[in-house]
Amino acid sequence: MERLQQVFKEESDDLLQNLEQSLLSLEKNPDDENRIAEIFRAMHTLKGNSSMFGFSKIADFVHNLETLYSHIRDKNLKATSSIIDCTFQVLDLLKVLVEDPIVTDENNLRSLADLSVRILTFLENVDGSETSQETVKSTNVVEDSSPSAVDAKATTKTFYISFIPSEEIFEDGTNPLFLIEELTEMGKSKVFTYIKPFEIITDYNVEKCYTSWEILLATESSLNEIKDVFLFVEDTAEINIEELSGGNLIANADFINAINYTGYSGEKQTAEKLKEIIDSMDIKEITSQVKEKQAAMAQQIPDKDGAPPTAPAATKEKTISSVRVGSDKLDDLMNLVSELVTTQAGLSLYAEHNHTTALESITENVEKLSRQLRDIAFSMTLIPINNLFGRFQRMIRDVSANLNKSVEFITQGGETELDKTIIEYLTDPLLHLLRNSLDHGIESPEERKRLGKPPKGTITLKAYYSGVNVFIQIEDDGKGIDANVIKASAIKKGMITPETELTEREIYDLIFSAGFSTAKEVTDVSGRGVGMDVVKRNIADIRGEITVDSKVNIGTKITLKLPLTLSITDGLLVQISDTYYLIPLSVVSKCHEVTKKSLADELNKIVVLDGDQIPFLDLRKEFRVKDEAPEFFQLIVVENEGRRVGLTVDSIVGEYQAVLKPLGKYYRHQDFISGGTILGDGTIALVMDTSKIINKFSQVNKEELV
Amino acid sequence: MSKSILIVDDSESIRELVGSTLEEAGYTVTRGVNGKDGLECLQQMDENVKLIITDLNMPVMDGIELVKEVRKHKNFKYLPILILTTETQVTKKREAKAEGATGWIVKPFEKERLLSVVKKVIR
Repeated sequence: MERLQQVFKEESDDLLQNLEQSLLSLEKNPDDENRIAEIFRAMHTLKGNSSMFGFSKIADFVHNLETLYSHIRDKNLKATSSIIDCTFQVLDLLKVLVEDPIVTDENNLRSLADLSVRILTFLENVDGSETSQETVKSTNVVEDSSPSAVDAKATTKTFYISFIPSEEIFEDGTNPLFLIEELTEMGKSKVFTYIKPFEIITDYNVEKCYTSWEILLATESSLNEIKDVFLFVEDTAEINIEELSGGNLIANADFINAINYTGYSGEKQTAEKLKEIIDSMDIKEITSQVKEKQAAMAQQIPDKDGAPPTAPAATKEKTISSVRVGSDKLDDLMNLVSELVTTQAGLSLYAEHNHTTALESITENVEKLSRQLRDIAFSMTLIPINNLFGRFQRMIRDVSANLNKSVEFITQGGETELDKTIIEYLTDPLLHLLRNSLDHGIESPEERKRLGKPPKGTITLKAYYSGVNVFIQIEDDGKGIDANVIKASAIKKGMITPETELTEREIYDLIFSAGFSTAKEVTDVSGRGVGMDVVKRNIADIRGEITVDSKVNIGTKITLKLPLTLSITDGLLVQISDTYYLIPLSVVSKCHEVTKKSLADELNKIVVLDGDQIPFLDLRKEFRVKDEAPEFFQLIVVENEGRRVGLTVDSIVGEYQAVLKPLGKYYRHQDFISGGTILGDGTIALVMDTSKIINKFSQVNKEELV
Repeated sequence: MSKSILIVDDSESIRELVGSTLEEAGYTVTRGVNGKDGLECLQQMDENVKLIITDLNMPVMDGIELVKEVRKHKNFKYLPILILTTETQVTKKREAKAEGATGWIVKPFEKERLLSVVKKVIR
C-alpha cells in the first residue's frame, strides 16, 4: 500500500503541474475551451484517484472545483480572474495535501474549509437550480449502483429465475454459464437447462447461444443481489425472477418430485406451473409475490438524455503517455550500458589482434548493437526541459505581482532534451537567475515608461541545441548591468586594483566571484543568501559554463552552455609520453602539427596559426613529463568561454566514445582532470578539464611573466 | 498458469491499485496506458489472457474505441471486457456495452467489489 501511495503522490504531482500549466494559459486566454477541458479532465482524474485511495476529503474538495469548471465548460460561468486566483490557491493547497492526504494537519484543514467555502460561493452564483438537480441526480445513481440492503432479510427464500440469453450474448464476451455458477453459489439450487431444437444441424451456428435456463434457488440473498448477478446482461437476455416461497422449497422432497423435467428439449416449468404445484401441495409459507420483469429493471437506469456527459467527446490530447520507471533503475541501466560499451571496446580490440572471419563479424554486430543500446538507454535519461520551464511560469507570475512589476515570460525550445541529472541541477541556478532578472533587471512600469520602453517587461527563457551542447539563455529587456559599476564595486571590495586591465567579459565574470553583490538593498526575492558564485559553481559541477552579456538600459543576456549528458562523452584521445588523455570533443576547434623547434622559438608562448595569434600551453612542461619530447607535436586548439588556447600533445590517437568514471580519492586534490575512462585494452585515459587547465596554467604563466 | 488480465488506464494510480489488487488475488496482470497501448499489449500477451479491464476516458484511444478494436480481432472476439466508469457516466456505460463491453465497475470501488466482478466474468 505504501508503494501505491507513492504512485498516487507522484501522479498527483504531475497532474497538479499540468493543471498549473493549463491554468496559466487560461489566465492569459480565459475563453480557451481546450484549456478548460484539460483542467476539467485533470481535476476529474485527481478526484477519481483520491476517492479510489480513500482520501475522501480531497475527493470532495476537488469535486466542487470540478463542478465549478464544468459550469465554465458549459458556459454557465465565466473564468474570472477571481476564480482563477482561487484555483491557484487550491493548487497550492493540493500540493501540500498530497503529502497529507487524510488531512490531519489543522492548518491544512482550515485552508481546506476556507477554500471550500469560496468555491461554494462561486457555485451559488451559478444557476442554483441546476446545481442542486445534479447533486440529486448523482445520489440517485449511487444508490442504484450498489445493491441496496433494504429488502435483505437473513431468512431463506426460494426464487424462480428464468434466464433466456439472446443468441448474440457471446458477442460481448459474456459466458452465461458463469452466471449460472454464480447463482448456484448463492444457496441451494436446482437448474433446468433447455436447448432450442433444430431440424437440420446446418442451422446450428457455433457462435450463437441457443441455451436457456430455469433455476430454482433457495437463498438468504436478497432479490437485488440476485438481480446483481444479471447486472451486465439485462440488455442481452430475458430475465424473470419471482419469489416462490418464504422457505426452502428445494429441501422439500415432495415439491422436487412433483416437478416434471423432461430433458433439455422438453417443456419449461414456468413460474405459473410451479406455483400451481405449491398451491396443490398446500405449502403454507407462500408470501407475497414479487414480480420483476426485465422492463422494470431497465427503468432504474436513468434515461440517456438525463445523464450529464462527464467529458467532452474525446478531444485529442497532445500529452504523450509514458511508463514511469524509477530513476535508480535508469541509473543502473546506464551503468550497465557503460560497462557494456567498455567491454565491447575490449572485444573489438581483441578481434583486431586475432583475425578470424567469424569473430570479426560477431564483433561488428556486438559493436552495432551496443551502440544502439547505448543510444536508446541514453535517450531514456533525457527529459524535455519543459518540465522545468513550467515551474518557472508560476514563480514569475507570483514574484512579479509581489514586486508590482508587469512581465511577459516567454519560453522557447521547451522540447529540448537534457539528461535528467542535469535538469535536476539546473533548477536552483535558473530560479536564482530568473529572480535576479525580475528583481534587479526589469524596472517598475513607471520607470520603463520614463525610459520610453513598453511598460510590460519581457523575460525570455530559451533552450536550444548546438553541436553536443545545449544552450539555455535568459534574456531580459531591463536596465542591464553597468560594467563600470561592477568594476568600481570590485575595487571597493578589494577584489581587483584600479590598475587591473579587464575585458568586458572578465568584468562580468566578477559577478560570479564569492561575496560579490551590487544590489543596494537585499529584497526577499533575490538575495536569499545564495550568491551568483553558487550559481556558477552549480553550473560548473555539471560541466557547464555561464556567460553574461549586458547593455545598460537595453537588457541582460545570460547564457548557460551545458553538456547533453554527464555519463558518456565524445572525446579526442591523445597521448603525452605514455599516458592517454581525453579532451572533450565539444571544446576542440582545430588540430595542427607543429615541430618542437618552432614552439621553442615562439615568444611569450604565442603561436601564429592561420593568421591567428593563439597562446599555447606546453602540457609536457605543465604535467612535468621528464622523458625526451618527440620532434613533432600536435597542437590542439580548444575553445573555452570565448578564449582559444592551444594545448600541445605528443600524438592524436583518434575520436573516442568515453564512459566517464569518477577518479578515486587519491586524485581528488588535483583539478585539471575531471574523470577517467577505460579504453578497450583496459588502459586508463584521463579526461582533461580544459577550462580548469587553462585557468590554472594561464595564471601560473602570468605570475611567471610578472 | 495463472489467468492473465490486461488493465488499461491512463492514471497510474488506478492502474497500480487495480493491478496490485488483482495480483494479490493470484492473477497475472499486464498494464496499458491507453487504448492503443492496450491493443499492443494484447497482441503480445499469450492465449492465457482472460479479461481486459479498461478506463473510458483516455488520451490517444479511449475505452470505447478499444472495445471496438478488440471485438474486430478474431482471437479476442469473445474476450470479456470490463469498463471502469464513474456514477456519472451512464451514457458512456451504455455506449460501451453496445460496442461489446461485457460489464462495468463503478468507481470508487472496494477491492472486494473489483474481485467479485472479475470473478463474475472469468470465474
